[in-house]
Amino acid sequence: MKFKVKTIWRVKRFDQLDQEANKWRCDVAILIMFLCIVTFCARLWHLQIVQGEHFREQSERNRIRSVRLQPPRGKILDRTGRLLAGVKPCFNVCLVREDVGDMEALLAKLSPLLGETEAEIRTHLGSEHKGPKYAPIVIKRGADWETLSRIESRLFSLPGVFIEVTPARKYPYGSIAPHLLGYLGEISREDIVKKRYTGARSGDMVGKCGVEERFENDLAGIKGQRRLEVDAGGRLIRVIDEKPPVPGKDLYLSIDLDLQQASEEAMKEYVGALVAMDPQTGRILALVSSPAFDPEAFATGINNEEWKALNDPVSRPLQNKTLQARYAPASTFKIVMAAAALQEGIVTKNTSFKCTSQFRLGRSFFRCWDWRGHGQTNLYKAMVESCDIYFYQVGLMLGIEKIEKYANAFGLGSKTGIDLPNESRGFIATPDWKLGRYQEPWQEGETLITAIGQGFTLVTPLQMACLTSAVANGGTLYCPVYLEKMTGPDGHIVKSFESIPKDKLPISKSNLRIIRKALVGAVNDKKATGKQCKMPDILVAGKTGTAQVVGQAKRRQDQKLDWKYRDHAWFVAYAPAEKPELAVAVLCEHTGHGGSVAAPVARKVFETWFQIQSPLPVLRPHKTAFNVNNIDDHV
Amino acid sequence: MFDRRFLEHFDWWLFLAVLLLMAIGFVNLNSGSAATGYPFQWKQLQWYIAGIVLMLSLVLFFDYRLLTIYSVHIYLIMVFMLILVVFIGKTVGGSQRWLSLGFMNIQPSELAKIATVIILSSYFYHDDRPQYGLTDLWRPFLLMLVPIFLIYHQPDLGTALFLVLIFASLVYMARLQWTSFLLLLGTAIAAFPVVWEFLKPYQRGRIMDFISPGRDPLGAGYHISQSKIAIGSGQILGKGYMKGSQAHLNFLPEVHTDFAFSIWAEEWGWVGAVILLGIFFLMLYRGFLIASQSKERFGAFLAFGVTAMLFWQVVINIGMVMGLMPVVGIPLPLVSYGGSSVFTTLIGVGLLLNVGSRRFMFQKGPRPR
Repeated sequence: MKFKVKTIWRVKRFDQLDQEANKWRCDVAILIMFLCIVTFCARLWHLQIVQGEHFREQSERNRIRSVRLQPPRGKILDRTGRLLAGVKPCFNVCLVREDVGDMEALLAKLSPLLGETEAEIRTHLGSEHKGPKYAPIVIKRGADWETLSRIESRLFSLPGVFIEVTPARKYPYGSIAPHLLGYLGEISREDIVKKRYTGARSGDMVGKCGVEERFENDLAGIKGQRRLEVDAGGRLIRVIDEKPPVPGKDLYLSIDLDLQQASEEAMKEYVGALVAMDPQTGRILALVSSPAFDPEAFATGINNEEWKALNDPVSRPLQNKTLQARYAPASTFKIVMAAAALQEGIVTKNTSFKCTSQFRLGRSFFRCWDWRGHGQTNLYKAMVESCDIYFYQVGLMLGIEKIEKYANAFGLGSKTGIDLPNESRGFIATPDWKLGRYQEPWQEGETLITAIGQGFTLVTPLQMACLTSAVANGGTLYCPVYLEKMTGPDGHIVKSFESIPKDKLPISKSNLRIIRKALVGAVNDKKATGKQCKMPDILVAGKTGTAQVVGQAKRRQDQKLDWKYRDHAWFVAYAPAEKPELAVAVLCEHTGHGGSVAAPVARKVFETWFQIQSPLPVLRPHKTAFNVNNIDDHV
Repeated sequence: MFDRRFLEHFDWWLFLAVLLLMAIGFVNLNSGSAATGYPFQWKQLQWYIAGIVLMLSLVLFFDYRLLTIYSVHIYLIMVFMLILVVFIGKTVGGSQRWLSLGFMNIQPSELAKIATVIILSSYFYHDDRPQYGLTDLWRPFLLMLVPIFLIYHQPDLGTALFLVLIFASLVYMARLQWTSFLLLLGTAIAAFPVVWEFLKPYQRGRIMDFISPGRDPLGAGYHISQSKIAIGSGQILGKGYMKGSQAHLNFLPEVHTDFAFSIWAEEWGWVGAVILLGIFFLMLYRGFLIASQSKERFGAFLAFGVTAMLFWQVVINIGMVMGLMPVVGIPLPLVSYGGSSVFTTLIGVGLLLNVGSRRFMFQKGPRPR
């Protein structure tokens, strides 16, 4: 290598002759290059100065405008084909700054017509001031008929103003499941730069969350194009050619409109979430996150105050609480604990512990929710009366690793896999996690509170609905599905969505039967915590939960406590217990006991569902007298 | 160690021309970005800065004479990259030209231009003859054929033909026998009908449009007639910065790449366009001067090849947008948007400055042979 490097420093030099020849060739090249540049300058002279006037005129006149043809957006329908979100024309008042001339005079004229002050109109202009002068700016979205007719009749005296029609959403039944459906809003700068949607341009309306966002590309359709020749004043001379738009595809959801409406009504006064599901298929029949928001408000633009209200940190209307909010599962977690204990052989259905309302571990005491104690308690009684002491014992015998294993097997701590963005996975704590996070070892006391669903454990209402469905259907954990099918504009099915069995619970049939029997008791027994959901002609099975938000010390009488310190109410249930058709998970934030608040909500949902199923007051074939021992034969 | 003559011979004029072109490129892209809605200019600024650093380090820390050895390696890397494009290249707009590196997409066919100049210069340096006949040229021709075929396959006819132009320029420098030249010319004319058969319909359309521009104002000739309107309507002083209606109303396609000159001429008029041409003239003049003043064969070929490469790009691009040439997708050096193009140009200028700055090293000593 060294040798080579040395020799190349002494490359062959030109001799005199070569040097001259080389120079001569370069001079010729320079001459050619010079001639080319001169030719270009001459050509430019010809184009820009000799023919400049002609081309200037052409550029003024030459207005082959390309108009985009908006396809109608695909409809969103419920499982029976009732329209949840349709399309209506939306009239926007637009302005092209280039054509305006005297902006002050125009604003003075526009202000009374639009019913807005000049400053307000200016804010619409200002936001896009950096764009080219030729691009139309929307100064009023979704103008009403009165405004439109006022402007239309004076259009000739308003240079640069025109009215544009774009498709917008209409909601014939009002706002239905806005968190699931999502809403339409103006495309963000980021989405344009990243080219997230093909063919989208600034000012376009795109789906912003839920189904609208997830299926934006299917719902939106393909934009068409019409090329027009127009004169300098923008008047149409002729249509050159046209590529028609392709309408968007329609989506059938598995949501049932009646059930959804009833559920929303039942949840109206609470902050919280409700999921209703077909336990045999995993299809979601109702999905409520309360409080709701009005998806139409986004279409016309919302002001600062409305935006603040939508981002209220307490009620969080924009959050889809069914799958994005996490809560302690509280006593509903006892379903998992009971199944784990039975399956591991730690208890049988006859094993009993004595509840004296206090449980001592080392030097600390752990209380049962009922200060009187439950006395001798077996699994059935512990589930029915939600005895904490029983599950402290069970938790201690199982150990945190087993609890974690079974919680994971029931689908907690991982995403349910619903086809929506930003789902939370919930949380199941492990000793390793605690060591890594707090540099402290796991305490046995923490195992105790984990056993009754408090402590670190966090779940989403959707996860609880899936868990309840799995118990109800005999052990199959489904991935929740909210879609039935997608159809083309002519009605043929483009894609149908099957139910997705995800996992089998590692619990034997007989153990599940014991749990189901206990769940029936937890609604129907005399001392049952969930008896407010008891129905006269249908056997409901369920489990209440009351999730503490603050420690015992601060809790006295619920009513006297500050709202944000009150307990969350849980209720998970399914019915009919013999042949489950509907599983429901309800969570009401800061309302107190699960039995007194969440259970009545679930009851209203069940009532509506069975009303839809058999509207006439006939006896259902499997109507049961209240005898829990019957159910074994049916399930 | 560091020779003062190095600085004396550094070509400040060439350097100045490059800086001016970048300034114009950035300002112009700023307007093009507003027209298209994508912020190209900031990316381009990053390429400029990275390219300048690369260029200056090429001048300072690298002796171009090393290329007499390493040209083979560079050539093989280039061929390897072009083959990679065939297998894992990214397809944009129907042709597979890009290699994705994660943070940027590189276009190996751009880099192939400079690699071609290097390998051919090196070849003609090692194979030193007073004159070349056709039989002496088959080896370098074969060298060229590999990248040309790979690039034609992408398909990118423009760049493939461009490599032929570079080859022709260096053969001119190496001196071709008159008889051979006439023979080649004859063959080229005779081969035209055959090539015509191989062209894709849109490529034929472009050539037809060039011959008769009014043939189909809304079809393939649309871009050129719109570009001519853009340039012509600029008149003497232009429509003003950011006010070019042809560009901003989307009549002009590709305002950030191939048609960058049109938007410049529309907004800055004849004066602006001539100034831009003047800067290009300065750059190319200094380039050819370095070639003519070089004291040895390799430097002369390298400098001439790089300058010819830049020259052809300028001529083809500006000729195209003014309707003097058929539509071929060749970017305007430093003014058009594109990282690979900027890097290729700045590597080329780096080599030019390198050759120019190291001229003094041959002033003494006998000719070794």
